[in-house]
Amino acid sequence: MQNRDRSEAEVTIAPRSDPAQEHEAVLIGRIQGGETELFYELIRPYERRVFVIAFTILRNEQDAEDAAQDAFLKAFKYLAQFRSESRFSTWLIQVAINEARLRQRKSHLEIMRPIEDKENEDGTYTPHDFTDWREIPSEALERKEIREKLVAALASLAQKYREVFVLRDVEHMSIEETAQALGISAGAVKTRLLRARLMLRDLLSPGLEGIWVSHSQIPKGTKPWS
Amino acid sequence: MVIKCDDVWREISNYLDGDLDPAPKQVLEDHLAQCAHCQSVRDGMRNVVELYGDKAMFHLPAGFHPRLRDRLADQIEGRKISRRAWLVSIGVTGALAASAVLAAALDHFVPQPLSEMSQPARRLPQRLVAVVDSGKLFHVPGCPFMHGKYHMVMPEEAVREGYAPCTRCMREALRSAGKVTPDFEGEEIVSSETEGK
Repeated sequence: MQNRDRSEAEVTIAPRSDPAQEHEAVLIGRIQGGETELFYELIRPYERRVFVIAFTILRNEQDAEDAAQDAFLKAFKYLAQFRSESRFSTWLIQVAINEARLRQRKSHLEIMRPIEDKENEDGTYTPHDFTDWREIPSEALERKEIREKLVAALASLAQKYREVFVLRDVEHMSIEETAQALGISAGAVKTRLLRARLMLRDLLSPGLEGIWVSHSQIPKGTKPWS
Repeated sequence: MVIKCDDVWREISNYLDGDLDPAPKQVLEDHLAQCAHCQSVRDGMRNVVELYGDKAMFHLPAGFHPRLRDRLADQIEGRKISRRAWLVSIGVTGALAASAVLAAALDHFVPQPLSEMSQPARRLPQRLVAVVDSGKLFHVPGCPFMHGKYHMVMPEEAVREGYAPCTRCMREALRSAGKVTPDFEGEEIVSSETEGK
């Protein structure tokens, strides 16, 4: 069911330009040829992405920064092994994910995993709330408390959902890139993404201080399954 | 074709991603047009996607970039010369240079004997000298300070046997030998041994 048509309701994923990839390929070649200081330029566009994915897994800013640094170091160390069959960004994200997971295993975060981790992702997720959502004001994210609530909601999801959601919806990676980075199938990415989006919607549906929900909620007892 | 709400929920994520073919997309939109619940799911999910997808959602911690550069510097710039190795090499070089300067200074300031005759003889006259059997000096034959029985040897041999030159009679002979004058040709002790090889 692949279709390139997009409606107004669809979320646009920014296309990636080939010249940027070509520039990266040139940079990588020069770095591998000894101009190692160009590595800073190569990774500059991905600093935020690597940090965010590390933060998504570790849920702690300091640990995420340490893991991101380790990931960049490892990427530099093994850059000679990078093959241009995959995008550099995807490869770098794989390195970052591995580094964050390694750090997670070393810490005690394993025991703090949400119980949803053990759920069967193939099971159907039923939305719990049918609040009438308003359009989000663009300045909502300027408020720190709003961002903190969003971060907390994301952190409450099981890791496999957080990882997919962040790569796809926060970092705007394609389904294929997300699948490659996580080492799962495209179908699994779609399934986890659907559940992550539905769960977050339910978690946030009470509204963040009434920002986006209207007061005309659908009365109880009118939900589809009731 | 009529679909139920849970059919919509299964495809709502693909719908928002534009990942539906025209036919099922139309069916889904027909359902949405008349179902408030599914509209709520769609609008809520769209809000979620747009909120989290906003660049303002996640920020790098303050100072992230300089800290990262500091952490990477040793590895990246270190492939040529690491900053730590550079500092160590500067330290070692400085220490060696200081030692050399100190040694030179100490050598320069070692007190030198004032007497010329107290200097070790660098050259010796190439003629026989008289060694007093009971003494510790060797002399120019006929030296007034030479007493007792003596025998004649070459100066190198006298030195080898542990005799020292008489500071009185040998003075002029040693001085002349050092200047290598035509009428009193001296020969360096060491070079006399090596020249023949």
